[in-house]
Amino acid sequence: MPQAPHDAAAFDFGKLSNDMYQQWEQAMTAWWDQVLESPEVLRASGQNLSVMARARRKYEEGMDQGLHQLHLPTREDLTRVARIATLLEERLLQVEDTLLQVKDQLDGMERATLQARVEAAETRLELRERLAELQARIDRLEGRGASVEAAPAEDGGKPAARKRGAPGKEA
Amino acid sequence: MLSHAREVVGQGVEAAQKLRDLVAFLGERPVERVKTGQTPHQVIHRQNKAVVRYFPPRGPSAGKAPVFISMPLINTWTVFDLLPGKSVVGALVDAGVPVYLLDWGRPGPEDRDVTLADLVDGLLPRAIDRSMRHARQQHGADALDALGYCVGGTFLAISLARQPGPVRRLALLAAPIDFHASGRLSAWADPDTFPLDDIVDGFGNFPRELMRQSFKALRPSGEAAKWKGLWDRFDSESFRELWAAMEQWNGDNVDFPGETYREYVRRCYFDNALIAGGWTTAGRPVDLGAARMPALALAADGDHICPPAAAHGLAAAWGGPVETRTLKGGHVGVCIGSALPKALLSWVAEGAVLRDEVQA
Repeated sequence: MPQAPHDAAAFDFGKLSNDMYQQWEQAMTAWWDQVLESPEVLRASGQNLSVMARARRKYEEGMDQGLHQLHLPTREDLTRVARIATLLEERLLQVEDTLLQVKDQLDGMERATLQARVEAAETRLELRERLAELQARIDRLEGRGASVEAAPAEDGGKPAARKRGAPGKEA
Repeated sequence: MLSHAREVVGQGVEAAQKLRDLVAFLGERPVERVKTGQTPHQVIHRQNKAVVRYFPPRGPSAGKAPVFISMPLINTWTVFDLLPGKSVVGALVDAGVPVYLLDWGRPGPEDRDVTLADLVDGLLPRAIDRSMRHARQQHGADALDALGYCVGGTFLAISLARQPGPVRRLALLAAPIDFHASGRLSAWADPDTFPLDDIVDGFGNFPRELMRQSFKALRPSGEAAKWKGLWDRFDSESFRELWAAMEQWNGDNVDFPGETYREYVRRCYFDNALIAGGWTTAGRPVDLGAARMPALALAADGDHICPPAAAHGLAAAWGGPVETRTLKGGHVGVCIGSALPKALLSWVAEGAVLRDEVQA
């Protein structure tokens, strides 16, 4: 018995719909490409937009006039109030900007002051150490002077070679 | 013959079952119920409708500069935090990067006079300043890296070229710079046919509904592709959730402040002034050539809103060194793929190396 012909090319609904879609898309894209870039269509579309925009403006103006005659706030009035609020916010933000800049400057000054204080403290510490060192040397010199003064009795009464406070190589 | 018929009927039954499930799924209103923007964060600064959202790092942040992100003005910020696992912000904070995201909010009619200079010289530098102060206090950071997406990236580049502030490096994602390479959008934005002044004078702000219809018209088969995508991958629960989140985001455009839109379209789309030059705003030139910081221009290969040539135009205009890369995806799809987080994390890592070298 011969094989049924449909076995060789089984029906696939998914593939068929895909193929159909792709063909449709290609044809439609090609057509739309021509339409959407045609100068005539663009001109007509522009004119249409222009008419819509002008009509909208006329409508707004008409509405505003009507509301104005009824002593009711118009859209323009509300917009103006909202714009004032926005401008006020902008002014506040400008004040905030200035304050933040002042804060930056103060922070900078504080950092510089702190740095200067640290440097001053370090210098003071250094000076204190230096003074202590000098004091120690003086003390050592005094000790040596005392021993020299005590020596004349042994050396036959010669005066001391150096006096306290006189510049010397050891200083 | 009989088995063939049985097969056809079987597939038809399967398709009918799937269609019934799909209708039931849509009946549950998944687009309204899906919750986007779930990554924990707090608002650290507000100005008018705009807010800066701080996303604390969830990993060790040592050595990583905080990233400031400027989102587009035409949609909500949640495209960078759609769902857990599909979140650019989530990927960054998981890698230990503190994130400061500028959400421009929803301008109202009272914002129609907000100018481009108000944004690039006022709102943006202030948002960056407040983010820097917060990052210094929280993380001991001394500089920020900045990332801008779409028009949020274009405005960020303009702003940083005028006052770099504490920003050390810039990355732009799908941000048009060479607007005359913007494909169909640049063809549409023809001063002879596009009634820019009538639109701004008539509507005040550029209306979100018009924005949505324009983006739909940019890719007419997109609507059909969206439904086909859902049909093809309906069995995946995570895909259904992602589809609903994308639908929610896509349908949630915001108005574009009128005067900003007027200057943006006139200078960028009509004049291509970021490339051609000759643009002065608020008494100062808009000159990307004045910038010195290194920049990265990321583009998506299938982007129909900002094609790679438009995004990579940064290389011709920016004063500092520019690296260009192209990722797989479309203008929005790139935000939910895995290529973008990888590219951004590599950019963050390069920044950490640069920082170590500078400190050494």
